[in-house]
Amino acid sequence: MTVLTRGAYGLPGTSLAYKTGNWRSTERPVHVHAKAPCHAACPAGEDQQAWFAKLQEGRAEEAWQVLVAANPLPGVTGRVCPHPCQNACNRKTMDGALAIHNVERWLGDEAIAQGWTHPVAEPAPDAPVVAIVGAGPAGLSAAYHALRHGLRAALYETAPEAGGLLRSAIPRTRLPRHLLDAEIGRLLSLPGIEITYRARLGRDVSVEELASDHAAVCLAPGCQQGRAWDVAGALPSDHHEGLALLREFMDHGQFPPASRIVVHGGGNTAVDLCRLMKRSGVQQVTLITASGLPGPQTAPDDVLNVVPRELDEALEEGIEIVPHATVNRLIMRGSKVIGAEVASLRKERGADGRTRRVTFEGTERVIDVDMVIPCIGELVDPEGLEPLVDRGYLRPGDTWGRLQDNLYALGDARGDRGTVAEAVGDGRRAAEAIAARLAGAEPEADDRGELTAEGLNPVYYEGAPRSTAPKLAVQQRGFDTEIEGDIGRAAALAEAQRCLSCGNCLACDNCWTFCPDNAVIKTVELATDGSHYLFDLDYCKGCGLCADECPTGYIQMQPERGP
Amino acid sequence: MSDETRLTELRQKFGRQPAAPDETTGAEPTPREAQPRFRGLESGHRACQGCGEALAARLVMECAGPDVMVANATGCLEVFTTAWPESAWRVPWAHSLFENAAAVASGMEAAMKARGRNTKVLAFGGDGGTYDIGFQALSGMLERYHNVLYVCYDNEAYMNTGIQRSSSTPHAATTTTSPAGRERMGKRHLKKDLLSIIAAHHIPYAASASVAFPQDLQRKVRYAMGIDGPTFLVVHSPCPLGWRHESRLTINVARRAVECGLFPLVELERGSLTNVMPIRDQRPVTDYLQLQGRFAHLFGDDPRAQQKRDHLQALADYNVQVYGLTGAGPDPADTGGAAAVGRSGVAAGRR
Repeated sequence: MTVLTRGAYGLPGTSLAYKTGNWRSTERPVHVHAKAPCHAACPAGEDQQAWFAKLQEGRAEEAWQVLVAANPLPGVTGRVCPHPCQNACNRKTMDGALAIHNVERWLGDEAIAQGWTHPVAEPAPDAPVVAIVGAGPAGLSAAYHALRHGLRAALYETAPEAGGLLRSAIPRTRLPRHLLDAEIGRLLSLPGIEITYRARLGRDVSVEELASDHAAVCLAPGCQQGRAWDVAGALPSDHHEGLALLREFMDHGQFPPASRIVVHGGGNTAVDLCRLMKRSGVQQVTLITASGLPGPQTAPDDVLNVVPRELDEALEEGIEIVPHATVNRLIMRGSKVIGAEVASLRKERGADGRTRRVTFEGTERVIDVDMVIPCIGELVDPEGLEPLVDRGYLRPGDTWGRLQDNLYALGDARGDRGTVAEAVGDGRRAAEAIAARLAGAEPEADDRGELTAEGLNPVYYEGAPRSTAPKLAVQQRGFDTEIEGDIGRAAALAEAQRCLSCGNCLACDNCWTFCPDNAVIKTVELATDGSHYLFDLDYCKGCGLCADECPTGYIQMQPERGP
Repeated sequence: MSDETRLTELRQKFGRQPAAPDETTGAEPTPREAQPRFRGLESGHRACQGCGEALAARLVMECAGPDVMVANATGCLEVFTTAWPESAWRVPWAHSLFENAAAVASGMEAAMKARGRNTKVLAFGGDGGTYDIGFQALSGMLERYHNVLYVCYDNEAYMNTGIQRSSSTPHAATTTTSPAGRERMGKRHLKKDLLSIIAAHHIPYAASASVAFPQDLQRKVRYAMGIDGPTFLVVHSPCPLGWRHESRLTINVARRAVECGLFPLVELERGSLTNVMPIRDQRPVTDYLQLQGRFAHLFGDDPRAQQKRDHLQALADYNVQVYGLTGAGPDPADTGGAAAVGRSGVAAGRR
């Protein structure tokens, strides 16, 4: 018989009776799935971190499915998007941002090659129908997301083909047509989407009719009308407006003859036009833009709004760019232009806080040219939309695109958009708002915080250089072959391994390994994502070690609730 | 409450240890019971927030157990794990005196041998019980070649009794018996190079490890467990209270100690250096010192402060040079690679 003397004996593991959790005084650890900065920056609403997580496990098809839950056109955006995700990537503070757009593009292409299909069920036969005007990226996205919400979609497109600006204004060297056709074709073949071609707003259909026949109407007509441009009243007889010139070239493959041109503007259209004209034989191409070139001296809102790699390629190809300048005056000989007077200009903030363009006197100089092409943006063609157009655009009041109760404006026509990804995001939000309204609810915005680089613990990430995609040499660039090449499967998967998983669990076991109090419990032995760790608050003393050693910032210390 | 009642109560609450691995209680295991690792040191112990020693002991037990028994010298580890009548240990565990953990372990090992069992005996002590008070018992145990793994949890002072200096306290650290002030800038003497003394016993294996590199620590424990003979491990275990740093910084502090060279991670077999953890990018020692209040006086206006910082830097550089801690480029086993994690933990150096 055991004789117990005081202090002689304690049964194994009985300290569990003593709940050290009551030592916590101020803070407790919690799992917080903050937005990764790529996700927060993505205008289309993709969660890049989520699909990179699938790729890290080698599950490419699942990664693609996560991707297309937000963006049905990854092959397109992977090529044409100015990738704000990449600019926001926390890895840029370490050894370079992830090549997100290259991997997105690879996934998009892989889906086409493998014939992966959208995991979208056919909506009920009597499901409400959303009418969508315009089958550009915004309209296509709205139709696709309507389906995801169990609605049907009826698209009305003026042109004989879908794609909008993707087809009419983006050069093949950036976006091959076979890929565009494949992605759009896959989307339009989904059961529940009907499309009517050659249906012109104001002539074949009217907004009122559509509104009375459908559950809701999405207006995504794009901007088809060049902004009026003249310099002190002078316009040459052979005047061409930038987007029209580009479209003409896309249709006929020819530019009007010129040897020295000035393009005035500062967007992708302007840069595309410069590059195509240079390649078609124009000797001297000068881009005059009011914005600045990217660099440490330039404020972020003053940078030329162009896909960064496109800008680099343009400079490689010998396009001369004059930043912070404007065309003041055309010098004419008869009705022909022979020179452009260029002056320095800055966007300056006035006393009332509004930004104005100020031209500086005494900086005028003359460039000899035989053609000046304005590329200063386009407005909504008001035909059929007269009562809705306000100063050139549709201008909805909120992020959901609501113009009226069942009327939504998306894409470029809003007036505050400018990229394909934004258009795709508009389509998704509008569909969400429509579905919520039909259910008698309000759509909910995702207002989670963003995880900045300070929230990560960088010591746990092994350095790895960024993968690069092949690129055509300047002499080889033409009008058909894509300039930027495919990154390839191996590089795409390697790039995925570089993802830091900002704000989301990596299942790395650090919290489980490092808790001095055994207060982190693992519920699954092998896992690759999600939180399968529990905090046993009965024993957690609140030291904060797990939060400090969590590589991804998924564990944060938060004040104890209540007294 | 009588002892019997209390014991019965505890038995009812926690049941009894299964007598054999295949004996089950029939009840669905709780998530804690279903942990995919051996829980040799359970929750409910009274270590301070962020205790490096509690963490180190748990990491050692995880891969040493379950067929082990422990002789534990007096010290924090003994005090905070066994508030009578409770025990945080889930292995046979005996509390020795401050100075004789190695001697008690020797006896336990001899008893096991006499009974024909191979249960490995572990001896645990703090730096006070190892570097100072228990040193002769330890030397005797090594010399008599007992099959014991001795683990020293080095938190660089007598923390249990109130932060008195030990022979392991680093140069210039302030403790209650080596206070920084007008006369001195903290401890006057140097940290004892215990590992070299241990290695001089010509034992099969002696190594240093750090809580900041748990996979490396556990690899060393496993290696030592497989050796029939005396082995020794010293684990650098920050003490937030005694070192005066925030409890959340325990791992960070331990990591920086390794990365600056002040606590080299080395392995010695039969007295010869056989392996080191290379430092990828050596940090200045100030990165390590400035996190801790025990070195705060080295960052004041005192002109002696710079000299002390330079002295500590010279000691770190000496370690780097003597042990050859400068690696040849990034390596999965260096301080950068050993810390790397990936999805589901699969990265170089992970389990």
